[in-house]
Amino acid sequence: MPLDTSTYTLALLRLDGRRWNELRRMTGQISTQSAAGADGSSFLSIGNTSVLCTVNGPAEIRNRNAANAAGLTTGGDDEASVSVEISVAGFSGVDRKKRGGDRRVLEMQSTLSSAFQTHLFTHLYPRSTISITLHVLAQDGALLATCINAATLALVDAGIPMPEYLVACTAGVTLDSVSELRSGEEESGDPLLDLNGQEEMELPFLTAATVGSSDMISVLVCESRCRVERVEGMLAVAVDGCKQVKEILDGVVRERGGKILQGMGG
Amino acid sequence: MPKANASIHQTVILTSLFFIAAPFVLSEGPNPTKGFPNGHYLVPDTNILLNAMDLLEQNTAFHDVIILQTVLEELRNRSLPLYNRLISLTRSEEKRFYVFFNEFRSETYVIREQGETINDRNDRAVRTAAKWYSNHLQESILKSRSKRKTPSIVVLTDDKDNRTKAKATNVTAYSLLEYVSQLEDADRLLDMVVTSQQARSNASAPAENIYPDYYSISKINTGIRAGTLHQGIFNVSTYNYLEGTVNVPAFDKSLIIMGRVNSNRAVSGDVVIVEILPQSQWKSPSTKVVDEETLNRNENPDAEEGESVVTEQERRALQDEVKKVHGKTSESHPQPTVRVVGIAKRNWRQYVGHIDGTSISKNKQTRKLETCFLLPMDKRIPRIRIRTRQAGELVGKRILVTIDSWDQDSRYPSGHFVRDLGALESKGAETEALLLEYDIQYRPFPKAVLDCLPAEGHDWKVPASTDDTGWQKRQDLRDLLVCSIDPVGCQDIDDALHARRLPDGTIEVGVHIADVSHFVKPNNAMDFEAATRGTTVYLVDKRIDMLPMLLGTDLCSLKPYIERYAFSTLWQMNDDAEILDVRFTKSVIRSREAFSYEQAQIRIDDASQKDELTQGMRTLLMLSQRLRQKRMDAGALNLASPEVRVQTESETSDPIDVKTKELLATNSLVEEFMLLANISVAGKIYNFFPSTALLRRHADPPKTNFEELSNQLKVRRGLEIDSSSSKTLADSLDRCVDPQEPFFNTLVRILATRCMMSAEYFVAGSQAYSEFKHYGLATEIYTHFTSPIRRYADLIAHRQLAAAIEYEPVHPSLNGKAKLEAICQNINVRHRNAQFAGRASIEYYVGQALKGRVIDEEGFVMRVFSNGFVVFVPRFGIEGLIKLKDLASPEPEGVYDEQKYILTTKGSREVSVALFDSVRVKIQDVLDESSSKRKLKMELL
Repeated sequence: MPLDTSTYTLALLRLDGRRWNELRRMTGQISTQSAAGADGSSFLSIGNTSVLCTVNGPAEIRNRNAANAAGLTTGGDDEASVSVEISVAGFSGVDRKKRGGDRRVLEMQSTLSSAFQTHLFTHLYPRSTISITLHVLAQDGALLATCINAATLALVDAGIPMPEYLVACTAGVTLDSVSELRSGEEESGDPLLDLNGQEEMELPFLTAATVGSSDMISVLVCESRCRVERVEGMLAVAVDGCKQVKEILDGVVRERGGKILQGMGG
Repeated sequence: MPKANASIHQTVILTSLFFIAAPFVLSEGPNPTKGFPNGHYLVPDTNILLNAMDLLEQNTAFHDVIILQTVLEELRNRSLPLYNRLISLTRSEEKRFYVFFNEFRSETYVIREQGETINDRNDRAVRTAAKWYSNHLQESILKSRSKRKTPSIVVLTDDKDNRTKAKATNVTAYSLLEYVSQLEDADRLLDMVVTSQQARSNASAPAENIYPDYYSISKINTGIRAGTLHQGIFNVSTYNYLEGTVNVPAFDKSLIIMGRVNSNRAVSGDVVIVEILPQSQWKSPSTKVVDEETLNRNENPDAEEGESVVTEQERRALQDEVKKVHGKTSESHPQPTVRVVGIAKRNWRQYVGHIDGTSISKNKQTRKLETCFLLPMDKRIPRIRIRTRQAGELVGKRILVTIDSWDQDSRYPSGHFVRDLGALESKGAETEALLLEYDIQYRPFPKAVLDCLPAEGHDWKVPASTDDTGWQKRQDLRDLLVCSIDPVGCQDIDDALHARRLPDGTIEVGVHIADVSHFVKPNNAMDFEAATRGTTVYLVDKRIDMLPMLLGTDLCSLKPYIERYAFSTLWQMNDDAEILDVRFTKSVIRSREAFSYEQAQIRIDDASQKDELTQGMRTLLMLSQRLRQKRMDAGALNLASPEVRVQTESETSDPIDVKTKELLATNSLVEEFMLLANISVAGKIYNFFPSTALLRRHADPPKTNFEELSNQLKVRRGLEIDSSSSKTLADSLDRCVDPQEPFFNTLVRILATRCMMSAEYFVAGSQAYSEFKHYGLATEIYTHFTSPIRRYADLIAHRQLAAAIEYEPVHPSLNGKAKLEAICQNINVRHRNAQFAGRASIEYYVGQALKGRVIDEEGFVMRVFSNGFVVFVPRFGIEGLIKLKDLASPEPEGVYDEQKYILTTKGSREVSVALFDSVRVKIQDVLDESSSKRKLKMELL
C-alpha cells in the first residue's frame, strides 16, 4: 500500500508521529564482540534498523591481489587499505531474501571503504589492511547511514586513529500529493529528517555523512530522482541531523570510556 | 568540501514554519446547545463517520468536532472516499473539524490488552482520548483563571457497550440518534440518521441469513495467491439485473455471475472476490431480458421475516435459463460462472432515484417513520430500502440517497435519504440528477478560483506594446489570415487555422490553439479546480465549464477581430501534405473570421470568392483530404457512433426537434489538422519528457471482443471481420456493405465501436513505447493538445510543450510522475462520465422532444434475446427494447434460434425477427416506471 503523506499537512506529524526534524531513537553499544576476538566492534540501531559491526586490523596484508580483484580494498602501498564487507541477514527485511550478490550491497561496500579510506589516518599503517565487517540484522530505512555510524563506533573501539567521528544521517522531502489541494502556495515540499523504511519507499531522500559536527561532507548518496531545488533543503537538514548523531555517538563512546576508567580505578 | 550551509539551513527552517498555517487550537466558543449550555466538542467514533458523513457535512449542525487519529486511520482503511470527504471537512473553516493525533501522545496512547479485539482497543482509545481532553480543558481553563465554564466532550457512538463503558469512566457518550434528537433541527436531520441497525436490533428474533457469509480475509488472500479466487469489478448487465459479469486478469473473457445469491450483496461497481462454480453449474449468458420492476412489483419493504432472496417469479426466470442451458448442452456454450465470496472494496456512491409510490402508505399526513423502496435511475443498482418520516412528500420527487449497508438477512441494501432534487420530470431536477449520477462537479466556481482570474476581467487585452512581458518569446502572427471553424453558436473557440503559400512553393499551415496555460498557472486554486473537473461537460441545454466563463468564452477564446494569445503549431508542407518542417511557438494572432462549418463550406464552394482567406481555406481543405487519405491508408478506423442533435427553442430551451448531425467536408478539415497538431505535439513533448509526457493511447482490442460480432456477421450476412490489425479491421469494415441497406455499414461500425477498448490518457513512463499507439487513429503516438479550454489534459500538454520549446522553465508539477498519473486517472474517469452524461442528456431531450407524438420510423435489429429484441433507430440515434409481451397480448410464444440469431413467435402474433433486419417501428413516449425517465417506447409494426 502506498504511503499516504496527506495526513502530514493535518498536524505536521509523520507516520510514526515524529516531527520533521526528529531522529528516531538511536542506541549504540561498543565492544560487543570483543569476546569473539574482534579488534573493535559495535552494535547500532536507528529505529528498527540495526547493524552489528566488527573491525579487524590493522593487520598484515594476506592476499593483496585477490582482495584487489574483488574490489573490496582501496589504497596504495604506503597506506593501509580499508576493506568492507556487508552481509545482509535474510530475515532483516519485510520479506525473507535468499542470500546472493546484491548490487546495492556492493555499492554500499565501496562507498564505505572509500569514505573510511580517506577519513582514517591510514598512512600510519602502510602495507596493512583494516577490514570492517557489517551484519545487517534488521532494516527499516537509513541502512547506509547506520552502517557508517556503526563502523565509526567499531573503528573507535579498535583504536584506529581518525580526526573526528564520521557520522551519517538521511533526509528526505515530502511530495505534495494530488489529494491535498492547497491553494496558491508555491510548492516546496518539506524536508524530513531520518526517513524510516516506509517513507524511503515513497519519498526522495539522500544520505549524507559529515566529519564530526562540522559542515564538511564526506559521503553524499542520492539514489532517488528529485528536483534540484529540493536538494538544498534536504542537505541542510541532513547535515543538521549529523550533528545530532555525532552527539549520540560521542555519548556512547564516553559512556564506554567512563566504564573502562572505572574498571581500571576499581 | 562545502562549508556554506549555515544560511541555507535558516531558510529551511523558515519555510517549514510557513507550513504551520492550519489552526491547531480548538475554537474558543464551541457551539452551545440545549443539552450543553457550556458548549461542547464532539468526538465521533469510526462507525459514526462511516454511516453519517452526510449528516456531519450539514452546515446547520455538527460544528467543533475532534477527529481522533485512531478513527481517521480506521476510516481510511474502511473507505477512502469517506476519508477524503472527512479531510476536506477538516479544511473547512466554518465546520471547525480538528484532527488530534492521540496515538502519538503518551497520555492517550493505549496498548492493546490480551484478548482484547482491535475494535475494543480502538473504542478504548477513543474513550481515553475523550477523558484526557476533558481533563485537559478543565486544567487549561483553571490555568487561564477565566470564569468560563468548561465545555463538555461528547463521544458519539452507536455501540451500546461502548456507551456503558464510557458512563463508567465518567465520559459523556451519546448515540447519534440521541444526540440528533436534542438538536434544533432534529426533525429534518433525523431522516439522515442511519436507522437500519437500530430497526434491526429492535426486531424480536434475528432474521435468517439469506445471503451466504463472505470468506475471511485470510482465506481470500490465500485463495487469490493460489489462483483459486479472483478479483475484479462487478458489472451488472443493463438488460438483465440478475446477471453480472466480472473481468479478472487471469482470463480473457469475462466471468458470469447469475442470480442474487451468487452475486451476494455486490452492487454494480464494487470490487469483488469471486470463486468459480463447479462446471455443472455453468450457464450461458442470458438471452433474456429480465427487469426487476416487472418481477418484484408487489413486494413489501417492511417484510423482514421470511424474506427469501429469490422471489417466486425470480426463481421461475432462473429456471427458464437453466432449462435452456440443459436443453441444448451440445450446441450452446455454458460459460464459466462464478459466485461472489467477498468484497474487496465497496464503490458505493450516492444514487439518484425516486420512491416507489406503491411501497408506502397512502396517508400523506403522517410523520411516522416509514420504510419504503427507492428505485434508482441506474437500472443496474438494486432498489434501496430507506426509512423516512417524509415519505408522503417525497413521492414524485427525484431524491438522492446513499447506501449504508447490506446485511446478510436483508434482501435489499438499506440506505438513507440525503437530499430532495425536485419534482420528477422537471428540467432542473432531471439535469441535476444526471449530473449527480455521473459525478459531475456543477457548483459555481468558489471565490478562491475566481480570485485567480486576471483583475481586468473582460477588459483584458493583449498588451499594445510589444515590450510588455506578455510579449516575451511570443511571435507576432497578427498578419496571418487566421480563421476559426466551429459548430454553430460555439463560444469557447479553442482553435483557429491558416494556410499560405510560401515564396519557395511550399505551404505553411498553422494551427493556433488558445493559450490557456498563460492564464491558468500550475498549482493555484483555478488549476486544482480544473484538474478535478477534468473536462467541460456538454449537455443539451447547458454547458458545465471546466474553467470560469471569463476565460473560456472570452479571454482565451480565439474570437474573431480581436488579438488573442495563442499557442501555434506551424508546419511547412508540400502539395502532397508531406511535412517538411514543424515549429511550435507561443504567439499573438488576430482571427479574421469565426465560421460555422456550414458557412465555411459555403464560402469554399462559392467559386466567386477569390480573396486570400478563402484561398487559404481551400488549400487547407485540399491538404486535409490528402492527410485523411494517408491516415486511412495507414489503417485508421472510420468509426461511427449514433449522433443526433436536439434542436431547442432558443429562449426556453425546450426541445423542438431531433436531427442527426450532418458531416461536412469542413468538419473533417478541422479534425485532420487537429489530429496532425496533436501527433506533432505528442512527439515533441515525449522527446522532452520521456517519462512524464501526458499522452493518449488506444489499446488494441482483444480478439475475443470481436468474436461475437464476427460470428453474427458470418451467420447473418456471410461477411467476415478481421480484427488482427486496425488496417485489416478498417478494410473488412469497408466490405460490410449491403447494397439494399445503406445504413447497414454504419450499423456494423457502431457495433464494432462497442467492441473496442476506450482510449485513455497515460503518462509516458507507465507504458512501453510500443503500447503508446492509438489503434483507432493508427498513429504511433498521440496526445490531446487542441482543446485546452475544455480539457485538462490539453492544458498539461500545453505546459509541457511550453517547457519543451524553452518558453518557460519546467514547472515541477510536469515532472512528478505519481501526481501526473493520478491526474490521468481522474481525467479518464471524468472524460467517460462527461460522455455518458452528454448521451443521457440527449436521451432525455429526445424523449421530451417527442413527447405526445407518435412516429413511424425505420429501425434495425441490433441484438436479439429469447424474449425480445433491441431496435436501433438511426433517425433519433436511440435504441429501444421490444419485448415479446409488447408484441401482442397474450404474450406470443417465442422460439429463439441462437445459432441463427432469429426469434420466431407463434400464437397471438406471428413474426420472425432476425439480427440486422430492418424493421418499421412505432415510436411513442412513455414514462418508464422503474426509473421515472421519459423514455421512447417502440412497437413493432
